[in-house]
Order: sequence, then C-alpha cells, then structure tokens
Amino acid sequence: MSQDLKQMTMAAAITDAMDVMLERDPKVIIYGEDVGNLGGVYRITTGLQKKHGEDRVFDSPLTESGIIGTAIGAGAVGMRPVVELQFGGFMMPAFDQIFSHVSRYRYRSRGRYSVPMVVRFPVGGGTGLLEQHADSPEAYLAHAPGIKIAYPSNPYDAKGLLISAIEDDDPVFFFETIVRYRDPKIRMDVPTGYYNIPLGQARIAREGKDVTIIGYGGMIQNIETAAEAAAQAGIQCEIIDLRTIVPLDIATILESVSKTGRVIIVHEATKTAGIGAEIATQIMEKAFYELEAPIERVTSFDTMPSPFNSLNHLSRPEAHHIAAAIKKVLSA
Amino acid sequence: MATSRRTTKKATAPESNEAMFVGSMPVTSELAPFQILAPDGRPVREDLIPDLDTVEEMYRQMSRLRHLDDKFMLLYKSQKLGNYAQFGGQEASQIGSAMALDPKLDFLAPMYRNTAAMITHGWSLQNAIMYWRGHPEGWRIPDDLNILPIIISIPGQIVHAAGVAMGLQMQKTGGVAMTYIGEGGTSQGDFHIGVNFAAARNAPAVFIIENNGWAISVPRKVQSGVDYLMRRSEGYGIPGYLVDGNDILAVNAVAKKAVQDARDGKGPSLIEQMTYRIRPHTTGDDPKAYRDETAEPKFWAENRDPIARVRQFLTAEKRWNEDREVAMKAEIESEFQIALDAADAYAAPDPKALLEYVFVNPPQQILEQQAILASRILEVNA
Repeated sequence: MSQDLKQMTMAAAITDAMDVMLERDPKVIIYGEDVGNLGGVYRITTGLQKKHGEDRVFDSPLTESGIIGTAIGAGAVGMRPVVELQFGGFMMPAFDQIFSHVSRYRYRSRGRYSVPMVVRFPVGGGTGLLEQHADSPEAYLAHAPGIKIAYPSNPYDAKGLLISAIEDDDPVFFFETIVRYRDPKIRMDVPTGYYNIPLGQARIAREGKDVTIIGYGGMIQNIETAAEAAAQAGIQCEIIDLRTIVPLDIATILESVSKTGRVIIVHEATKTAGIGAEIATQIMEKAFYELEAPIERVTSFDTMPSPFNSLNHLSRPEAHHIAAAIKKVLSA
Repeated sequence: MATSRRTTKKATAPESNEAMFVGSMPVTSELAPFQILAPDGRPVREDLIPDLDTVEEMYRQMSRLRHLDDKFMLLYKSQKLGNYAQFGGQEASQIGSAMALDPKLDFLAPMYRNTAAMITHGWSLQNAIMYWRGHPEGWRIPDDLNILPIIISIPGQIVHAAGVAMGLQMQKTGGVAMTYIGEGGTSQGDFHIGVNFAAARNAPAVFIIENNGWAISVPRKVQSGVDYLMRRSEGYGIPGYLVDGNDILAVNAVAKKAVQDARDGKGPSLIEQMTYRIRPHTTGDDPKAYRDETAEPKFWAENRDPIARVRQFLTAEKRWNEDREVAMKAEIESEFQIALDAADAYAAPDPKALLEYVFVNPPQQILEQQAILASRILEVNA
C-alpha cells in the first residue's frame, strides 16, 4: 500500500495519529486540561477540536484523578478515551485511580470490562521548567499489572505506536519526551494515513557487535550520539530502542546480548528499582552465561528530578555519561 | 414530590432531633429528612403512596435480602463465606433506590456494602454467594448485567460512575449511572471529583450517600462539620435531597425523581439517605469495641427498622397478615437454599484464573508465570 509521506516532528506525528483515529473510530474521544480550544500546553491537540467537534475533543475540569477515573467509566460503556495529562509529574493525584482501578478493572470483572484508554503526557527534563514538570514515571506504572507503557523515540514510531495504543483494549500510558517534540534532528518522513506499529516489538536502532545499549524515548538521541563517537574509536554499539516497556521485547534484548556480551541500560528516570533493574535481572535470569562484563546502568541520580535547572545536566544521562559507560563495560 | 433542599422545610412530621441522631451526632438542623411513611408505618404523605402491589414488592425484596444478610453472617461463622460487608438494616436505602433504575438501560456502580442494590439490579443470589466466597466465577460480571465491579477502596466508583454517565450521554442511550458511598467516603477527594465532574458535564448520574452513621468505628461527626452532607449539592450546582433512608417509599420516590431528571437531560443529583449501620462494619468487625450496642444501634433496630415499617403499613391496609408472612418466609428460605446448593455444587475454582484477564493479550512475563502456575497445579494434583 503506497502512502503519501510528509516531514513531521514528533509533535506533528502524535497529532496526526489522533486525527487519523478520530476519523476512523467514532468511539474515540479526547479530553484533558486545555486540550480543546488551546490545543494543550504543548499544542499537541491543536486543531482537533475545530475539526472533530466539541463532543469529541474537549476540556475537562482540572483533575487528573477525574480525567483517568472517568475514562475507566466511559471505556466500560464502549467509548475509547484518549486523555492527556499536562505533565507526567501531574499523574500523582491520579495514582489511586491508576493503581486501584485502571490496572485491575479487567481482572476484577473477569473480562467483562476492558479499559481501552490511552493516557498521554509529556515527560523528561532539560526544559528549565518547574518541579513536577520533568518527571519520568515509567517505573511506577510498570509495577502495576495490567498497564502497557509506550515510549517512542521518533516521529514514525510515535504515530504508529499511538495508533496501536488507541486500538488496544488494554490501558496504554504513552510517554512523550518534551525536548524531542520539535527537535529538528529527528524530523522525518512519516506516512500521512493509517499505519500501526505493534506494541511489544523493540527496534534495533543501530547494529553493532561490541556492546548492547538499551534505551527508550528521548534518551535514544543521547545514546546515538555516544555510539557515533564510539564508532570513531572503532567500537560498534548495538542500540535497542524498546519502543514499549510493557510489553517488554526481551527476545530482541537476549539476541543482542548473546552477540555482544556487554550491556548498558539508559534511562532518564531515577536508578533504584527502575526499568534498568528489571531488564538487568531478566538478562541475568535468561542470559547470565552470555555476559562478558557486569551490566551497567546510566540513569539520573536518586533524587528529585530537575530540582535546580542549572545543575540538572550533571544528573540526567548525557551522551558523554553513556560514553564513559561504554568505556567501562569494554574494559571489564 | 421529593424534597429538594429548598422545600425540605415543608416536610411534615419531622423526626425529633433525638430520633435522628446518627453516629452519636445529634442533628440539629432546619432540614428534616423526607418521609412518606412514619417509622410506625403510618402514612405521612397519603398522596405519595404508590399502588400496593409495588409496596408489597418492596416489602418482599427487603425481607428476601434481610434473610440473605442473616444467612451470610451464619455462613461466615461456619467458614463457608469470606469476610463480608453486611447491609442488614439498610435494605430500604439500597433496594428503594435501585428499584428506580431500568436494569436494561441503567448502570449501577457499587461499593462493597451494596449487595442488596446489586441483587435488586439483577445480580443472582448464587453469584453473590460465590463472590463473597472469593470464587473467580462469582467475580465474573455476566454480560447482560449492567453492573460495574464492586469497589473496595473508597471511593473510586464515584468517578467511574461520572465516566459511565458521560459515556452513556455521548452514545445517547438514555441510560443513567447510579452509585453509592457511605458518609465516611464523602471525605475523600474522589467524592468531590466525581460529583463535580458529572455536574460540570451535566451527565446522567445519581450519587447516593448512604449515611449509616459509622465508618467502621468513626462516627459521622468526625467526617465533617456540616449538619447534612447533601448540602454539598449546592456547591456543585445540582439538586440535593435529604431522605429518611429507612423509609423505602421515600427513598424510591426521590430516586425515581433523580433518575428521571438524569434521563431527561437535567444532569446529576446528590441524595443523602439517613440510615444506620445496626450491624458490624464487616463480619470481621466487633462494634462492642467502639460503641454501646445497647444504645443507638438497639434504638435503630427496634424503632427504625425499614422492614417492620412497611409491614405495619401493609397490615393496616389489610394487605398483609401472618399467613402471608409465613408463606413468604418459606419461599425466601427455599430460594436461598437453592442458590446456596448451586454455589456449593459449583466446580472448585480453576487456579488458572489467577493469571487470566490481566491483559487482553498476555505479554511474555505473564506467559512465563502462567507456565510456572501450571507446574504448581501439576505438583498439587500429583
């Protein structure tokens, strides 16, 4: 099937995915704070209300627990809500709805009710914003059974994954890295119509034989930069872009580990009990004897995200932090 | 008709303050709960009494479910039921409101004490027994039943009901969402969030506060400084009603009005039903540890029983007598026994249920854990 291509930023690709799904499925509705007239604080829903009407795309009261709790109810009676939280760090008021109900509703009713919602929100630092505007809450969510997590790194993946997320009958939390929304370096050709990328299939972003670097979301760019520098020194990094954290494509990870024997896991979220810990454990369980060196994690420090904007870069993983980790695992 | 906050002053035969004290909180207020039948069964509002067939149906349903509540306590004591939240004493409050719904159109969003409302909306006795036994097939909600899952943590269902109402409104089904919370649950943020959300969207929802005086050991007065919780309706811009929750005719009349308004596009209502938890919080609770069972609870059990009220009325109307009572009780006992036998005879829980329905399509981790579970099942069966 031939499709028209269009240069898109990550932001434009996400908007396009919602536009396509609003068009295809009358049950899809979009709501959240400021998503109607304004188009959201990052303008990701810009134009959607005008095009699809106020019944389909609308502002909600200022309540994250209300946005997510009502999406459970609306989903239970046949709607397909795609809701926006203003920031990932604003998810906390909705924790009871997420952990007590979103993750359990299908199980609790023995399949009578699905939770076909998508919760979209911007995440990550480097923006000079306030507290709670730079959080990376994926590990909390991954701990709750029944929740899927998508975390795209580029426009093509963002659109395809969001379309899959909207079509999925399980709840999907959709992470959007703020600093990549309009990053010109990742602008790319994206098909204008419908296509999807299955949830649970990682992408080999770069092939290599010396070290496997696992990451997702905005960190993929930092990893690419480090890998590029390593290539100058003759080191071939293999980059795995997870695309979804739940489901986790462990098969792709293990295949790469069996090739390289060395693993670095990168995430912007804090270190302790993070996604890196889970991936490292699964590698230990399933490929311990393939390892040539201890697994290395490059993450933010175990502290509040972005407390002081002027010092933030010393905590959040930058390309040179990843480069140092590459050196370390290769010298082990 | 049903009393809104603006017209409650007109209600006749107000309860004395002493009579309406709830959870050690003597209510002093210019508001009085709406009544159709006085506690002794005499009509307060002749003009609002429905046809006697309906009243008799209400009486039978309350008797049937009081029997169930009694039996559940006995089953618990003989370890044939898990921990169970009793509703005994609140039959009028739950049955009167749920009877205002159309089970084909309307959704019920229950909490743990709403077994009576759920059965009135179509849940089978056998499913109720199996649910409270923790049998997975008791947890399964049949496809033809418009009931959401029972919510244990307080009070997520208020927000879900707002969402259901919004979804029904968008699909123009004409359906309404009804949900319940105790007076303690109104102190939670999600109570405000759900009612406010529904009100802001004019969604067809009915929010019912079953004020039974106690949140486990904590009396009503600890929850809020306001005299009646239904006053909060004004802050949401929706109608609020104060009802004698042990008068099933009053409860039903007010609920019908709220449901009809919701169906007609007039948005949600908030109803406070004044009742009393004469029984423990759950089968695992001992109220003697925190209240004098010979005082308030005894007073309510002896003088405010919702079933006795209707029986006295029906007897005075020559609609009821001892022979009919005996015949009804035999029917009720036999019906319950049949349900209990069916639950007892039901296949033991399939352990595979532990890992079913986590996801629509189980990811690798779940598949691996399913394999471990399968080997554990084999070990047990070996």
